[in-house]
Amino acid sequence: MRAPAHRQVDSVFGALADPTRRRVVETLARGGIVTASGLAEELPITRQAVSKHLSALRGADLVTSTRVGRETRYQLRPQPLDEAVEWMQMVGAEWDGRLDALRRSVESRRSDAR
Amino acid sequence: MRLRDEAPAKVDEETPWVERETLIEASPDEVWEALTDEDRLEEWLAPDVDLDPQEGGEIAVRDGDEERSGTVETYEEGERFAFTWSRPGEGESFVQFTIEAVPAGTRVKVVETPMAVALAGWGPRLARLERSLRFVLVA
Repeated sequence: MRAPAHRQVDSVFGALADPTRRRVVETLARGGIVTASGLAEELPITRQAVSKHLSALRGADLVTSTRVGRETRYQLRPQPLDEAVEWMQMVGAEWDGRLDALRRSVESRRSDAR
Repeated sequence: MRLRDEAPAKVDEETPWVERETLIEASPDEVWEALTDEDRLEEWLAPDVDLDPQEGGEIAVRDGDEERSGTVETYEEGERFAFTWSRPGEGESFVQFTIEAVPAGTRVKVVETPMAVALAGWGPRLARLERSLRFVLVA
Protein backbone atom coordinates (compact mmCIF):
# COMPACT_ATOMS: atom_id res chain seq x y z
CA MET A 1 0.00 0.00 0.00
CA ARG A 2 1.24 3.45 -0.83
CA ALA A 3 1.82 5.89 1.95
CA PRO A 4 -0.60 8.80 1.87
CA ALA A 5 0.82 11.65 -0.19
CA HIS A 6 0.94 14.08 2.70
CA ARG A 7 3.26 11.77 4.59
CA GLN A 8 5.79 12.13 1.82
CA VAL A 9 5.41 15.87 1.74
CA ASP A 10 6.03 15.99 5.48
CA SER A 11 9.16 13.90 5.22
CA VAL A 12 10.51 16.07 2.41
CA PHE A 13 9.97 19.27 4.35
CA GLY A 14 11.19 17.63 7.51
CA ALA A 15 14.40 16.69 5.72
CA LEU A 16 14.75 20.27 4.50
CA ALA A 17 14.16 21.81 7.91
CA ASP A 18 17.79 21.24 8.80
CA PRO A 19 20.07 23.94 7.35
CA THR A 20 23.05 21.61 6.94
CA ARG A 21 20.91 19.18 4.98
CA ARG A 22 19.86 22.04 2.75
CA ARG A 23 23.55 22.72 2.10
CA VAL A 24 24.04 19.05 1.26
CA VAL A 25 21.09 19.20 -1.12
CA GLU A 26 22.37 22.39 -2.70
CA THR A 27 25.83 20.90 -3.15
CA LEU A 28 24.42 17.70 -4.62
CA ALA A 29 22.33 19.81 -7.00
CA ARG A 30 25.47 21.58 -8.18
CA GLY A 31 27.77 18.62 -8.30
CA GLY A 32 25.75 15.85 -9.92
CA ILE A 33 26.83 12.46 -8.67
CA VAL A 34 29.19 12.56 -5.73
CA THR A 35 30.63 10.51 -2.91
CA ALA A 36 30.32 11.20 0.81
CA SER A 37 34.01 12.12 0.97
CA GLY A 38 33.57 14.52 -1.93
CA LEU A 39 30.72 16.21 -0.07
CA ALA A 40 32.71 16.40 3.15
CA GLU A 41 35.43 18.27 1.28
CA GLU A 42 32.97 20.89 0.07
CA LEU A 43 31.09 21.38 3.32
CA PRO A 44 32.28 22.44 6.76
CA ILE A 45 31.20 19.14 8.32
CA THR A 46 32.79 15.75 8.92
CA ARG A 47 32.38 12.79 6.64
CA GLN A 48 30.44 11.09 9.42
CA ALA A 49 27.98 13.98 9.60
CA VAL A 50 27.66 13.90 5.81
CA SER A 51 26.72 10.21 5.97
CA LYS A 52 24.09 10.93 8.59
CA HIS A 53 22.52 13.68 6.52
CA LEU A 54 22.65 11.55 3.37
CA SER A 55 20.84 8.78 5.12
CA ALA A 56 18.13 11.18 6.33
CA LEU A 57 17.78 12.49 2.79
CA ARG A 58 17.59 8.96 1.44
CA GLY A 59 14.85 8.27 3.99
CA ALA A 60 12.87 11.16 2.55
CA ASP A 61 13.48 9.80 -0.95
CA LEU A 62 15.46 12.87 -1.94
CA VAL A 63 18.71 11.06 -2.62
CA THR A 64 19.49 7.82 -4.41
CA SER A 65 22.70 5.88 -4.07
CA THR A 66 24.53 3.42 -6.27
CA ARG A 67 27.59 1.36 -5.50
CA VAL A 68 30.42 1.57 -7.99
CA GLY A 69 33.22 -0.74 -6.94
CA ARG A 70 34.08 0.20 -3.37
CA GLU A 71 32.44 3.58 -3.56
CA THR A 72 28.90 4.65 -2.90
CA ARG A 73 27.81 7.48 -5.13
CA TYR A 74 24.93 9.73 -4.27
CA GLN A 75 22.62 11.60 -6.54
CA LEU A 76 19.87 14.07 -5.82
CA ARG A 77 16.37 13.08 -6.71
CA PRO A 78 15.20 16.63 -7.08
CA GLN A 79 11.64 16.21 -8.34
CA PRO A 80 10.05 16.73 -4.90
CA LEU A 81 11.93 19.95 -4.33
CA ASP A 82 12.92 21.34 -7.69
CA GLU A 83 11.70 24.81 -6.90
CA ALA A 84 13.31 25.02 -3.50
CA VAL A 85 16.67 23.89 -4.87
CA GLU A 86 16.40 26.27 -7.79
CA TRP A 87 15.69 29.14 -5.39
CA MET A 88 18.64 28.26 -3.13
CA GLN A 89 21.02 28.05 -6.07
CA MET A 90 19.80 31.25 -7.67
CA VAL A 91 19.78 33.31 -4.48
CA GLY A 92 23.13 31.85 -3.40
CA ALA A 93 24.69 32.79 -6.74
CA GLU A 94 23.24 36.30 -6.49
CA TRP A 95 24.82 36.79 -3.06
CA ASP A 96 28.16 35.41 -4.24
CA GLY A 97 28.16 38.12 -6.89
CA ARG A 98 26.94 40.88 -4.57
CA LEU A 99 29.38 40.09 -1.77
CA ASP A 100 32.19 40.10 -4.27
CA ALA A 101 31.07 43.53 -5.50
CA LEU A 102 30.80 44.74 -1.89
CA ARG A 103 34.32 43.56 -1.12
CA ARG A 104 35.73 45.22 -4.23
CA SER A 105 33.86 48.45 -3.48
CA VAL A 106 35.16 48.68 0.10
CA GLU A 107 38.70 47.58 -0.70
CA SER A 108 39.06 49.91 -3.69
CA ARG A 109 38.13 52.91 -1.52
CA ARG A 110 40.83 51.80 0.84
CA SER A 111 43.51 51.69 -1.81
CA ASP A 112 42.33 55.07 -3.19
CA ALA A 113 42.72 56.61 0.25
CA ARG A 114 46.28 55.40 0.63
CA MET B 1 2.03 36.77 2.22
CA ARG B 2 0.40 39.22 4.50
CA LEU B 3 1.13 37.58 7.79
CA ARG B 4 2.86 40.75 8.77
CA ASP B 5 -0.38 42.66 8.82
CA GLU B 6 -1.69 40.47 11.57
CA ALA B 7 1.20 40.11 13.92
CA PRO B 8 4.87 41.00 14.03
CA ALA B 9 6.64 38.28 12.10
CA LYS B 10 9.99 36.99 13.04
CA VAL B 11 12.13 34.80 10.90
CA ASP B 12 13.93 31.90 12.43
CA GLU B 13 17.43 33.26 12.01
CA GLU B 14 19.07 29.99 12.96
CA THR B 15 18.02 28.14 9.85
CA PRO B 16 18.67 30.36 6.85
CA TRP B 17 18.04 28.92 3.42
CA VAL B 18 20.96 30.67 1.86
CA GLU B 19 24.07 31.68 3.73
CA ARG B 20 27.16 33.24 2.23
CA GLU B 21 30.12 35.05 3.67
CA THR B 22 33.16 36.98 2.60
CA LEU B 23 36.24 38.47 4.20
CA ILE B 24 36.96 42.12 3.50
CA GLU B 25 40.29 43.78 4.19
CA ALA B 26 38.81 46.82 5.90
CA SER B 27 37.48 47.84 9.30
CA PRO B 28 33.96 46.97 10.46
CA ASP B 29 33.11 50.70 10.29
CA GLU B 30 34.05 50.88 6.62
CA VAL B 31 32.01 47.76 5.86
CA TRP B 32 29.03 48.97 7.89
CA GLU B 33 28.95 52.19 5.92
CA ALA B 34 28.99 50.30 2.62
CA LEU B 35 26.07 48.16 3.83
CA THR B 36 23.84 50.86 5.23
CA ASP B 37 24.47 54.10 3.33
CA GLU B 38 22.25 54.36 0.27
CA ASP B 39 24.90 56.05 -1.87
CA ARG B 40 27.39 53.35 -0.97
CA LEU B 41 24.84 50.61 -1.65
CA GLU B 42 24.53 52.01 -5.16
CA GLU B 43 28.20 51.20 -5.69
CA TRP B 44 27.70 47.48 -5.31
CA LEU B 45 24.11 46.35 -4.76
CA ALA B 46 22.13 48.05 -7.51
CA PRO B 47 22.24 51.33 -9.45
CA ASP B 48 19.33 52.84 -7.55
CA VAL B 49 18.87 52.25 -3.81
CA ASP B 50 16.70 54.12 -1.32
CA LEU B 51 17.20 53.27 2.31
CA ASP B 52 15.93 54.78 5.52
CA PRO B 53 18.45 53.16 7.87
CA GLN B 54 16.39 52.54 10.99
CA GLU B 55 14.10 49.80 12.19
CA GLY B 56 10.79 50.16 10.38
CA GLY B 57 12.42 52.27 7.65
CA GLU B 58 11.88 51.47 4.00
CA ILE B 59 14.29 49.99 1.52
CA ALA B 60 13.89 50.02 -2.26
CA VAL B 61 16.41 48.49 -4.63
CA ARG B 62 16.08 49.07 -8.36
CA ASP B 63 18.19 47.58 -11.10
CA GLY B 64 16.73 48.28 -14.54
CA ASP B 65 13.29 46.69 -14.66
CA GLU B 66 13.88 44.77 -11.50
CA GLU B 67 12.66 46.30 -8.30
CA ARG B 68 12.61 45.00 -4.77
CA SER B 69 11.22 46.76 -1.76
CA GLY B 70 10.72 46.06 1.89
CA THR B 71 11.23 47.15 5.46
CA VAL B 72 14.24 47.34 7.77
CA GLU B 73 13.76 44.80 10.55
CA THR B 74 16.97 45.14 12.54
CA TYR B 75 19.47 47.95 12.68
CA GLU B 76 22.16 47.36 15.26
CA GLU B 77 24.93 49.81 14.52
CA GLY B 78 28.13 48.10 13.45
CA GLU B 79 26.81 44.59 13.98
CA ARG B 80 23.59 43.56 12.33
CA PHE B 81 21.39 44.88 9.57
CA ALA B 82 18.31 42.99 8.44
CA PHE B 83 15.39 43.73 6.17
CA THR B 84 12.66 42.05 4.24
CA TRP B 85 12.39 42.47 0.52
CA SER B 86 10.32 41.23 -2.37
CA ARG B 87 9.66 41.83 -6.02
CA PRO B 88 6.15 43.00 -6.87
CA GLY B 89 3.77 40.04 -6.65
CA GLU B 90 6.37 37.66 -5.28
CA GLY B 91 7.01 36.23 -1.86
CA GLU B 92 8.92 38.21 0.68
CA SER B 93 12.27 37.10 1.94
CA PHE B 94 14.29 38.04 4.95
CA VAL B 95 17.87 39.23 4.44
CA GLN B 96 20.33 39.72 7.24
CA PHE B 97 23.91 40.94 7.27
CA THR B 98 26.14 40.42 10.27
CA ILE B 99 29.64 41.80 10.48
CA GLU B 100 32.46 40.79 12.73
CA ALA B 101 35.99 42.07 13.20
CA VAL B 102 38.63 39.41 12.49
CA PRO B 103 42.43 39.73 12.41
CA ALA B 104 42.49 40.04 8.61
CA GLY B 105 39.69 42.60 8.45
CA THR B 106 35.95 42.12 8.62
CA ARG B 107 33.88 39.05 8.04
CA VAL B 108 30.51 39.72 6.45
CA LYS B 109 27.82 37.09 6.55
CA VAL B 110 24.56 37.34 4.69
CA VAL B 111 21.58 35.05 4.96
CA GLU B 112 18.40 35.02 2.95
CA THR B 113 15.33 33.01 3.85
CA PRO B 114 11.88 33.01 2.28
CA MET B 115 9.38 34.50 4.72
CA ALA B 116 6.88 32.06 3.37
CA VAL B 117 7.62 30.04 0.35
CA ALA B 118 5.70 31.59 -2.49
CA LEU B 119 7.37 29.25 -4.92
CA ALA B 120 5.06 28.56 -7.80
CA GLY B 121 3.02 25.42 -7.38
CA TRP B 122 3.56 25.12 -3.67
CA GLY B 123 0.51 27.20 -2.81
CA PRO B 124 -1.70 24.48 -1.33
CA ARG B 125 1.15 23.23 0.79
CA LEU B 126 2.00 26.62 2.11
CA ALA B 127 0.48 26.29 5.56
CA ARG B 128 2.08 22.92 6.10
CA LEU B 129 5.36 24.19 4.76
CA GLU B 130 5.36 27.08 7.16
CA ARG B 131 4.72 24.82 10.09
CA SER B 132 7.29 22.28 9.00
CA LEU B 133 10.07 24.68 8.33
CA ARG B 134 9.24 27.37 10.83
CA PHE B 135 10.10 30.16 8.42
CA VAL B 136 7.98 32.55 10.31
CA LEU B 137 7.53 32.48 14.02
CA VAL B 138 4.73 34.71 15.08
CA ALA B 139 6.04 36.53 18.11
